[in-house]
Amino acid sequence: MSIVVESLEKKFGERVAVTGLSFEVKSGEVFGLLGPNGAGKTTTVRMLTGLLAPSSGRAVVCGVDLSGDGTALRKRVGLLTEQPGLYDRLTARENLRFFMRLHEVDETAAWKKTEKYLERFGLKGREDEPVGGFSKGMRQKLAIVRTLVHEPEVIFLDEPTSGLDPQSARTVRDAVAELSSEGRTLVLCSHNLAEVERLCTRVAVVKSRLRMVASLTDLRREGLALEIQVEGEASAFVSLLSALPFAPNVLHEGEKLRVMLSKPEQAPDVVSALVSGGARVHSVTRAARPLEEAYLELVKEET
Amino acid sequence: MSFSFARVKAVLWKDLLELKKNRGMVYSMLALPTVIVLVPLGIVRTYVRNPGDSNLRAIALYYDLTVAADNAARFLVDKVLADWFVLYLIMPVFVPILVSSHAVAGEKEKRTLEPLLSSPVTPLELVIGKSLASLIPSFAVCLIAFVLLCIGVDLVAWPLAKELVLPNAMWTFGVLVISPLFAFFGNGVAVLISARVGDSRLAQQLSGLFVLPLVGLAAGQFGGALKAGAEYYAILGAFVLLLDVAILFAARRLFDRERLMSRWG
Repeated sequence: MSIVVESLEKKFGERVAVTGLSFEVKSGEVFGLLGPNGAGKTTTVRMLTGLLAPSSGRAVVCGVDLSGDGTALRKRVGLLTEQPGLYDRLTARENLRFFMRLHEVDETAAWKKTEKYLERFGLKGREDEPVGGFSKGMRQKLAIVRTLVHEPEVIFLDEPTSGLDPQSARTVRDAVAELSSEGRTLVLCSHNLAEVERLCTRVAVVKSRLRMVASLTDLRREGLALEIQVEGEASAFVSLLSALPFAPNVLHEGEKLRVMLSKPEQAPDVVSALVSGGARVHSVTRAARPLEEAYLELVKEET
Repeated sequence: MSFSFARVKAVLWKDLLELKKNRGMVYSMLALPTVIVLVPLGIVRTYVRNPGDSNLRAIALYYDLTVAADNAARFLVDKVLADWFVLYLIMPVFVPILVSSHAVAGEKEKRTLEPLLSSPVTPLELVIGKSLASLIPSFAVCLIAFVLLCIGVDLVAWPLAKELVLPNAMWTFGVLVISPLFAFFGNGVAVLISARVGDSRLAQQLSGLFVLPLVGLAAGQFGGALKAGAEYYAILGAFVLLLDVAILFAARRLFDRERLMSRWG
């Protein structure tokens, strides 16, 4: 097990940033920390990388207890921050050398490995240019290479594509996918569901507290989506269904209605409401639930 | 907590490299020493050009009633050089302020603080590395300025003094002992303020206020209220040494990973 988290909590003064976090991340797993802005994802990552001390609870990362030697922990983990945080006046090589020296690794051996990453991420040949002239995508890719200079056992990626244009975001996502294909343990912190869906196997949904830990398949299975074919314009029945006591989310397109339910027992009530509202129901099928729906439902709770 | 000189060296290397590549900063660092060297040369030249000027005696008598008429110019040369040392001390305070404010608060501005603190470097190693990166260039600038001042003053004053006026015991002691204490003070103030404020310009402006007491002392000296000399500067040095110790304790408390991260990360 690469990460074991038990009842972790962080308070800033009286304000609780995140509480009740308990989850485990297996070696080689790509684990997602999902949550809206301000949900406590970054605080969680900062605790797990030894940047912030937990207020209570316990966590062990790469066999190092968070209450123990922070330097030993930071030598074994890598953190890709939301902002690349590079020194613009220095060249890519100097930026990377600085972190090699901070990690006290053998520079010659580390550089050989680093060159491979630079080549893979399309940065080879640009090593001696000041990074101030790099595009956003290049900067983020260089920051990924920087997190790898000491060959960390676990890599934390905090919103790696935030603020990037679609093309840069894609190149960064591809780079992350390559890292996961190498069998590295990755923790991806994001609110980008498409990104999480593409890269992660399991996720923890966080909003000030832990809402759920599940595989993506299980997360989609949580609750139920009904696809209902009616006669005529489906939009005419949206307000009817929204007025139900359990207020389901309803989407419509042409003659189709998609109704999100939290419990299977709600399905007969939906059909009955439609029929008594004058709808001619042609078919009712259980539909695959988009991850977005499951996620929004989880973070909507208790707001 | 482990301490690594290699990590201190890494921080020092990176900060010196950044400083070298920041031309604006290098020119700013050289501006003050240029003034500190050139202005006393101009004053000494004025005294040497016409040493028999009766006005010089009048000025000398204002400071010391026992000055002989034929010695007034030499007296004033020695007096201005003794007094000038307090202004020279602005340099070891100001240059580290310039560099350290940029080096510490700059990490927050450039959003490089989080990746840096997520490396194994400890806050103590960071403070030491950054302080050395500020103190080493400051010492170098102060020493070079002192050497140039000595050469310049001796060339200009030779027709009058017929001997080397500088370096003398007071200046040598001052440059080698008191000036490093002031540099340490300037760096400490800048590091402390940078740890509290978010941008380097504000840190520089606030730290720069700490130069004002020196300007006040200079005004007192030139006005005749304070008499500069070896003893006077030794007392000043001892006072700054106490301030340095206080700064060291405060820096250890303020420069804490958690505090920096929760405030600026």
